[in-house]
Amino acid sequence: MAEKNYYTIDPEGKLTCMKCGVPLIKGKARFMYLDNGFPVELPVCPVCGFVYVPEELALGKVASVERALEDK
Amino acid sequence: MSQIQERGSTHVYKVNKISKEEIESMVARCVYEHPPFCSAACPLKLDVRAFLEAAAAGNFKKALQLYEKAAAFPLVLAAGCEAPCEKRCRLAEIGDAVSIRAVEEAVARFGQAQKPGSVFRTRKKKTVAVFGSGLFALFLAGEIEKKAYPLTVLCEEADLEGFLRCETDFLDEDAFRAELKRLRGKDIQFVFGCTIDAAFFAEKRGAYDVVCASPAVRQRLFPEAASLPELMYCEEERLVSGPCTGVMDAAFGAKKAALTVDRLAQNLDPRNTRGQEGPVDSKLYTDLSAATALTKTPMPGAGYSREEAAAEAGRCIQCHCEECFKSCAYLAHYKKHPGLFAKEIYNNTQIIMGDHQLNKPMNSCALCGQCTVVCPNGVDMARVCLDARRNMVSTDKMPLAPHEFALLDMLFSNEEAFLSRPQPGFESCKYVFFPGCQASAIAPATVKAAYLDLCERLDGGVGLMLGCCGAIGDWAGRTELQEQTKILLDREFGKLGDPIVIAGCPTCKKELAGHEGLQIVGIWDILLKLGLPEGGHGLDRPAALHDSCGARGDESTRNAIRALAEKLGCVLVDTPYSGDRSPCCGYGGLSAYANREVAKELTEKCLARSDAPYISYCMACRDRFAREGRESKHILELLYGTDAGAPPDISEKRYNRLTLKKELLWELWQEETKEMKLDYALDYTGEARGMMDERMILTDDVIAVMDEVRKTGSCIFDEESGLYIACRRIGNATFWVKFSREGDAHYLVHRAWSHRMQVVKREG
Repeated sequence: MAEKNYYTIDPEGKLTCMKCGVPLIKGKARFMYLDNGFPVELPVCPVCGFVYVPEELALGKVASVERALEDK
Repeated sequence: MSQIQERGSTHVYKVNKISKEEIESMVARCVYEHPPFCSAACPLKLDVRAFLEAAAAGNFKKALQLYEKAAAFPLVLAAGCEAPCEKRCRLAEIGDAVSIRAVEEAVARFGQAQKPGSVFRTRKKKTVAVFGSGLFALFLAGEIEKKAYPLTVLCEEADLEGFLRCETDFLDEDAFRAELKRLRGKDIQFVFGCTIDAAFFAEKRGAYDVVCASPAVRQRLFPEAASLPELMYCEEERLVSGPCTGVMDAAFGAKKAALTVDRLAQNLDPRNTRGQEGPVDSKLYTDLSAATALTKTPMPGAGYSREEAAAEAGRCIQCHCEECFKSCAYLAHYKKHPGLFAKEIYNNTQIIMGDHQLNKPMNSCALCGQCTVVCPNGVDMARVCLDARRNMVSTDKMPLAPHEFALLDMLFSNEEAFLSRPQPGFESCKYVFFPGCQASAIAPATVKAAYLDLCERLDGGVGLMLGCCGAIGDWAGRTELQEQTKILLDREFGKLGDPIVIAGCPTCKKELAGHEGLQIVGIWDILLKLGLPEGGHGLDRPAALHDSCGARGDESTRNAIRALAEKLGCVLVDTPYSGDRSPCCGYGGLSAYANREVAKELTEKCLARSDAPYISYCMACRDRFAREGRESKHILELLYGTDAGAPPDISEKRYNRLTLKKELLWELWQEETKEMKLDYALDYTGEARGMMDERMILTDDVIAVMDEVRKTGSCIFDEESGLYIACRRIGNATFWVKFSREGDAHYLVHRAWSHRMQVVKREG
């Protein structure tokens, strides 16, 4: 059964991997912290696997989940 | 540089127990919840403080409700109360006690009586009878009715008026009528005109579950009965009754008897679970310094008018012990008295599974010990919070995030920026100067001037040790890191010939005092002996001296600093909470890392004491005051005529330490430091620099990301902003940099952010 995605961002072709010269696509990724994992869909380079975490996501949702897990 | 291991998992289901006795001993020190002395003295447990507060506000309805809790017939009580509360009123020590009884009488007279209970109110199943009349029977009937037992009063009087008149001839007619009205409103069934003799009693008692009697009836029917006065119960006769004399005694006896009725009705032993009855001891501390109205309100008539009663009630100073709240911004922020807070923080450490909601509060305490000196009973929140931090570190339940930056900074101080050398020309030294990590970070030129001066004016050689004393590891509850620091420093002290340590910071002095066999003095003591160095001068305006929390309990340090300031010609203004009672600037206990809001409030609390420029003798205090825009000087800056200038950001603090080390190594020991030069140009926009300081991102972190970009070419281009974005995992965090290319090997950083979660591509 497919894993539920907690968060999805589609790069809509606006991000390019400079190493591989290809656009980033909406791809499967996983956040891992303190032995907990969260499947998400983020802009990913289809060639080298670079996963992009935008500033708003890092300082918003990611930071709040970090705080919540740290206090577990 | 070394890293610190992140906690392994949130799935840790064990705790290290803290003994109940230890928790209780801490909690018991706080007297916040102790009753005020007036209430403690009242056998009826009237909440005098709340009562007077309501009366002072003119809310006689609420005041009367509180008074009716103490006695069901307030006018009867008010007329005969002996007012033990007034004898214990703290105002009596400096003026007139509040005339509580007179206010009670006015409240009972003017207050709006409660509406009679609804006929639909839920009544208990067990039935109670009271035989006889008089004060005890009256009060007891009132108490039992409050408890909602179906109650029958069997009396000899012919009617309700007769019943109420018994033993209440001291009531004036108005009061009698008011109490009669109140009695009529109560859910009590009366049987009048009874001849209460043994036969009548024997016939009737069987109809009720619990039977009570007035002292007169008991005396008549059971003259030999042994009553237990604390229970108001004749066990053998199964009769609730006992001796009482006077109004207060009757009211108190009725309270005890009603509790006995309650226990008997539930088939429970009346001796058990009674709580504290009657007057109690209180250790409440009250600050009388703010009390102004010391003379009682005159009473022109027979009793107070509404206005007079309110004015008299308003004289109450509302005894509360809030010494810690008044002085500590941390406790004031959380609005929890230490008794409760300590319990919650200890409980936080004992949670096996679930959220540790007290982590942030526990990590926000400055561990400065101010509460312990301002509290009349020595409450010690620093001990509570530090114990809790250590406990959670020991079970791997402590989050690293709040303290990691500070701990890495400590490692930086004791690795890359560490320096330990004997004075040039000496193999071992009589002294070693230990300025402290913050001094090198914030005022490197001052450290250099002080060291050169000590070398010149002290005999026997003065070594130099630039590093962290270990206080940061201690504050974080990481005893292992603290111990590692101790081992490092002891080894280095040994290499220098076990010199006398000249501490430049009172916190270092305190921390290093934990090293066995180490002799420590403050630089202030040395300078006081040697005389002022050349070039020093005081401030040309009066200044406030802020005592460091590191110098709490260290009067000699505080005096030495004052003596130096005086010699410099400084005029010091008095501030509240100076000396041993000084608050923390917000750096202590790593408060600023765990909770910026609380740390800012701590700083503001320090600065609210005076508008003058501040002189301090801890570099962290100097830094935090300057950050808030206050003119702020460290005493060493004044002594050496150096100016550390505007507060440095987090990267500059590291740069300053490295540069100081490099400069001194070259100038004094002719040792060249290998310089790490970038082979590309890296600039920052003002916005980027600001956000990096705010987000605790160092220029070193950004450089590490850019090095990676140059090495691997791995980055992305964002069409919308026209900027490049790259990242790198460093230690326990991933750092992101958004930059533009300004030339072949020239980058301009626009934004930077980080997160602790790791992110990986997933298959499928």
